[in-house]
Amino acid sequence: MKNICLGLLVTVLLSMLYACAHTQSLARVHPEEVKGLVDCGECHTDRWALWNHRAADFYNKHRFFADEQSKACNVCHQEAFCADCHAHKEEIKPSDKYKDEPERNLPHRGDYINQHKIDGRINPAYCVKCHGRQNNERCRSCHR
Amino acid sequence: MRTHAISRSGNPLSVRVRRGCGAVAAALILFAGPGASDAAVISASSDTIFRLRETRDRDLYPLYEYLHLSTVQQVTGGVVSFNMGGWGRVDLADRTTEDHTNGDLQYGYLSYRGDRNNLVANLGRVWVTEGVASERIDGAYWRSDLAAGFMASAFAGRPVVTEPNALAGGDVIYGGRIAHSLPGLYTIGVSAVKTSQVDDGADVLEREGIDVWLHPVKQVDITGISSYSSRTSGWMENTYHLSLAPLHDFRVSADLSAINYRHYLDGVTTPALSVNNALNFGAGTSAAGANNGILNPNEELFMLGASVGYTLRKNLDLVADYRHFDYKVQGDAHYFGANLTYTPGTYSAGLQIHRMDGGAERLSYDEFRIWASRRWGKVDVTVDLFDVLYDHDINDVSNSFSISGAVGYQFSPRLRATADVEYMRGPDYENQLQGLIKLTYAFDVKAGTEGRAK
Repeated sequence: MKNICLGLLVTVLLSMLYACAHTQSLARVHPEEVKGLVDCGECHTDRWALWNHRAADFYNKHRFFADEQSKACNVCHQEAFCADCHAHKEEIKPSDKYKDEPERNLPHRGDYINQHKIDGRINPAYCVKCHGRQNNERCRSCHR
Repeated sequence: MRTHAISRSGNPLSVRVRRGCGAVAAALILFAGPGASDAAVISASSDTIFRLRETRDRDLYPLYEYLHLSTVQQVTGGVVSFNMGGWGRVDLADRTTEDHTNGDLQYGYLSYRGDRNNLVANLGRVWVTEGVASERIDGAYWRSDLAAGFMASAFAGRPVVTEPNALAGGDVIYGGRIAHSLPGLYTIGVSAVKTSQVDDGADVLEREGIDVWLHPVKQVDITGISSYSSRTSGWMENTYHLSLAPLHDFRVSADLSAINYRHYLDGVTTPALSVNNALNFGAGTSAAGANNGILNPNEELFMLGASVGYTLRKNLDLVADYRHFDYKVQGDAHYFGANLTYTPGTYSAGLQIHRMDGGAERLSYDEFRIWASRRWGKVDVTVDLFDVLYDHDINDVSNSFSISGAVGYQFSPRLRATADVEYMRGPDYENQLQGLIKLTYAFDVKAGTEGRAK
């Protein structure tokens, strides 16, 4: 009963906040087409200025941007872009699919059958993000 | 109990194709309604990929078709769209095995985006990234700005997982996130996700977390998340990043990450990434709740890293980076090096040199990568060399390298063809040659209104 009351209270509160909200939505599509590894700071002086896709830490931080501002990612990227790496089932390594885009530093280059034993030991948490609950059917070849 | 026999496949390709066709039909009916053609935008892209590979015992010639479709319709107060992406594959050389065909629906959902409050409502196969939740679901997702700087999101459905070893990924998933923002200053969110099975009601994962994005001044950016596993009663992860940009051309970043394997790896569906229940278990975790994996549940990783980046001149970037891995069980490892990239436009090049220096034999190696790309009109050429030199031989091999070359031709703004060849040699491959041919075609109705590349 206590949980139900708490749930109702939160629902009513959120409904009131929703009813009173009036922010303007982000543009659905970026007004200018942008390509490659973009430094948003070249045009933006606001909170998007730090979205420098060429910055060394952008790869590590993109998960936080996606959590908080996926609507901003969607202004330039369609979901197909995310699905190249964050796939349910995928048979082609990202680095194989886009050999003509070396600047993207896509993962799993070279002899990754061997290297995955090393990377998996160093930090399996990196692997879990893409292979923990999805896209791990090929693991069964050896890990039974 | 998380381990039970799973069979979600049957004939997976045909099931998915049927579902995909059904979704497409529903969307087309929706968008073919009265007045729909006035403002409807239909965009799609096709990637046809032909691979040539050799394995230890046979040659493979798989042919893939990746298709992405998006239809957008302006309606009163917002936009309705249908988005779908998937792929299918057939092996042209070997049709004897049952897996000579395969395919997947990567995403497929009906979406409403409001003109106000950043309202989003999605229904279908959706990828959800909300705090502790990073899941693909068949279900519903909703998010909206609220008053006074708050926002909320919620989702529910069936988790879309792969379960190659009968480790259950759950039948039902739900969760959400509430956050408060002061634009340009901070965002703090709390989130939760829970997955359970229908047959016995057992939880597969149950997580809560706090995420932050602090942006106190223009030059400082802090992001991070702390996540807790209620199912195993312990902190999974504390990861935080600090970025400083005192000058536009000079950036410093630092990051720390503390990960507890027992809690972080709870809920995974492959033994390759799950803990071993034969090892010692501490308080808060029962053997019944663990997977028969290969990783030590008692391992804890503390990672500390930093990088310094400087733009030497426009499009010429130099980055030095360092990471220290401190393990409770395995010991220490250091990873450090530098990247130099030059990306002026018609051509680009990069050089990467790193050293892994760890206590274990396999954690001692040097890593090099050099690449260059050049475009002449409609033609572009790329060369990429990746080399790893091991301090201690692996399978009597001390040098693992791959070299690849790619050529692309842009027939028109809509049509592009690329072909590449890669040669690899390493501990697991004495000599391996593989190739790939890709044809990319973008077809739009009312082209040019979307403005995004992909």
